[in-house]
Amino acid sequence: MRTFISGLLGATTLAAGLTGAPILAQDITITMAAPDWPPTRFMKEYFDQTYKSPNGGTTTLDMDFIPWPSFYERVAASLTSGEQKYQMIVTDSQWLGAFVEGGYYLDLTDKINSDPELKAITQDLHPALVSAYSTYPHRTRAQLEAAGEVPAPGVNYYGFPQFPDTYVTYYREDIFCHEGEMADFKAKYGTNLPCSYEDWQDTDWAKWGQVGEFFQRKKGEMLAGEKLADDFYGIAFQAGKGYDFSTMQVNAFVWQNGGDIWDESKAPKAQAEGVVNSKAAVDAFDQYLSYLQYMPPVAQTGQMDIFVIQDLYMQGKVGAIIDWVGLGEPVLDPKSSTVHDKSAFGPAPGTRKGDGSIDRTGNIGGQPFVLTTWNSDAVVDEALNVVKWWLSPETQLEATKNGGQSGRMSVMADPSYNGLRPWNRAHVEMIDWQKDVWHIPEFFEMLTQQQEEFDKAITGQITAQEALDSVAEFQQELLEDGGYID
Amino acid sequence: MAEINRRTGGFGAWLLDPKRRGALLVTPAIVILFVMNIFPLLWSFGLSFFNYKASSLKVPTFRGLSNYERVLTDEKVWERFQTTAIIVGSSVILQLIIGFLLALMFAKAFPMRRIVLMLVLTPMMLSFVSVGVFFKLFYEPTFGIVSYLLSAFTEDRFVVLGSPAGAIAGIVIADAWMWSPFVMLLVLAGLVSVPKYLYEAAEIDRASSLRRFWTITFPYIKSLLLLAVLFRTIETFKLFDIVYIITEGGPGSSTETIAVYLYRTAFQFFKTSQSSALAYIVLFIVVVMTNLYLYAVNRRAEEVG
Repeated sequence: MRTFISGLLGATTLAAGLTGAPILAQDITITMAAPDWPPTRFMKEYFDQTYKSPNGGTTTLDMDFIPWPSFYERVAASLTSGEQKYQMIVTDSQWLGAFVEGGYYLDLTDKINSDPELKAITQDLHPALVSAYSTYPHRTRAQLEAAGEVPAPGVNYYGFPQFPDTYVTYYREDIFCHEGEMADFKAKYGTNLPCSYEDWQDTDWAKWGQVGEFFQRKKGEMLAGEKLADDFYGIAFQAGKGYDFSTMQVNAFVWQNGGDIWDESKAPKAQAEGVVNSKAAVDAFDQYLSYLQYMPPVAQTGQMDIFVIQDLYMQGKVGAIIDWVGLGEPVLDPKSSTVHDKSAFGPAPGTRKGDGSIDRTGNIGGQPFVLTTWNSDAVVDEALNVVKWWLSPETQLEATKNGGQSGRMSVMADPSYNGLRPWNRAHVEMIDWQKDVWHIPEFFEMLTQQQEEFDKAITGQITAQEALDSVAEFQQELLEDGGYID
Repeated sequence: MAEINRRTGGFGAWLLDPKRRGALLVTPAIVILFVMNIFPLLWSFGLSFFNYKASSLKVPTFRGLSNYERVLTDEKVWERFQTTAIIVGSSVILQLIIGFLLALMFAKAFPMRRIVLMLVLTPMMLSFVSVGVFFKLFYEPTFGIVSYLLSAFTEDRFVVLGSPAGAIAGIVIADAWMWSPFVMLLVLAGLVSVPKYLYEAAEIDRASSLRRFWTITFPYIKSLLLLAVLFRTIETFKLFDIVYIITEGGPGSSTETIAVYLYRTAFQFFKTSQSSALAYIVLFIVVVMTNLYLYAVNRRAEEVG
């Protein structure tokens, strides 16, 4: 087994502490697989500046920054090849099952139970994040809360939030708060154009569609008092075939509409057929598809992923987008964004219920980090020290100031939190609505087939009903074969 | 030095004996070939008879030929072969036409011929990834150049990749753009090998251009054309990068070639044994095509000889 303890530094040093117990001062290098984006770049930078190992030695965090599009393949190839390169991994929550079953991710349940500091951190984490980022077999937030204690008995915990992410609305304040546009919108639809944060809190999908239709303008037409040099589009959200780019948004529509995906927390009773393609789910998918007409034409190719949306928004071609908070920093950077000084943020739209409230249930984003099973005890202990450092309130606040987010409820409750970044208020509001997609090892097969069927519907080859029927049939067969359905 | 060693004896002398020198020189290459190529090939061949997932700790179990049976009876696999055949057929035909026309153009002298020839050859020297990204951006309907140029004639933005036919056409054009110069090079080699006196004799006989082409030019280039067809068919059959970058196999699965499907099966779904079986089926097809290619090469050699 390859160890990443680079060596013992000098002889054993006796602790100067009260216990008099000998502490081994070791120099440890932790190699971490991480997607290449601001939240992980900041972690590395801040670690190098501030981290002091409690064991007295020197700890190096060697981040292997991997571009997002190849992140899964690179991590999966490394794990399955047996090279044992990484001590920690920033992982998507969906991968938990595949890599726990593969024997690569370390079960941290005993560590959490035996370490008061880790236990306190876990208790302070938002339950939606614990459910999505840590539990395998997957336990829903409701199941964890019903247990009445944290960590819940009989539940296995694997990860801690590296970057908890939610999707929020990015919008052009200069056009949404333009008096002329507001008056025209009111005259056309008899309702207000959302301008303030509070307006977005009251924005449902119906208004989202109106916004899309209203701001769809041709080159040469006027927008907020200026003649357009190019076509302009009202809205955009995820509609991409790659990875999980349409699933993440479609799931929100399905859940909000009373439909469901196959619920692994209810296996082996939960079914796919009749659930995935229920009338509620089909109606919800139809509603999702109906908004594509107001989006940039790339939506018709099924290639409108989270980066394309961000790019089009930064180029000033779209009025409002729904995208992850983690992609917000470049939007505010004058070097990369033409709308850096015109952007504001609000919660994502949702479905209005009978009592007038809005359901914003959505699919959680972001990533936990996990430890790998081949680490020595010393590396495991030091990696958990890194976890404690990252999730300490001071580091979490600093990370939030620099484009990150916190998963700790006490940090999010800090009065200064919402003001640290312009999207924080929306993020805090949205995080309470988050659920997650499947965590079982077969997730990629299910996801890929679903993405293909969604893509066919998005590009107009099949209907929503046909797409969901195909998804349900495929999942039913796969899950029955895998023993997940009786 | 070797002479001294031989005289003084010892291991060095024994090793450098002329009888062993040949084996000694090829050993490193054979070892590398075995470790990097032959061993993985044999290993994956073995895996194709087991039930094994690289992402699972479960002990592999022997399944005989059932992975092959599963692959060959999988509708999806046949759909992907069909898609691959459409892309291969269209792309190779387009490459032949463009390559042939370019060769005819460059067979004659004209001002700045060398510079233009160099520019025409550039696409085949680029990496697949670069070509994929270029064309993805060209086809982008909001700001891409294709949509921009066509917007003069269409009211709405032209969306190349929005339909299965459009997406296949997009991939075929990108692949043909990259590899037509290769076909051109082969055909050009044939054209310049035609003895000038044959054309002069044909001119004296007042043979028409068409007759001159069929009776003089074509016999000289036909085996090279066959080589081009086979070589490009083999290469396009394995097409992965351009498809993955431009469409990721979409819309839906309409442009998912067998190579892309194989990649997904192996490295996204981790059906290691099943993907090994499929890989061997693909390898078998490629080996058959390669033999045809070698046959064509030998025929050409005989003709030239």
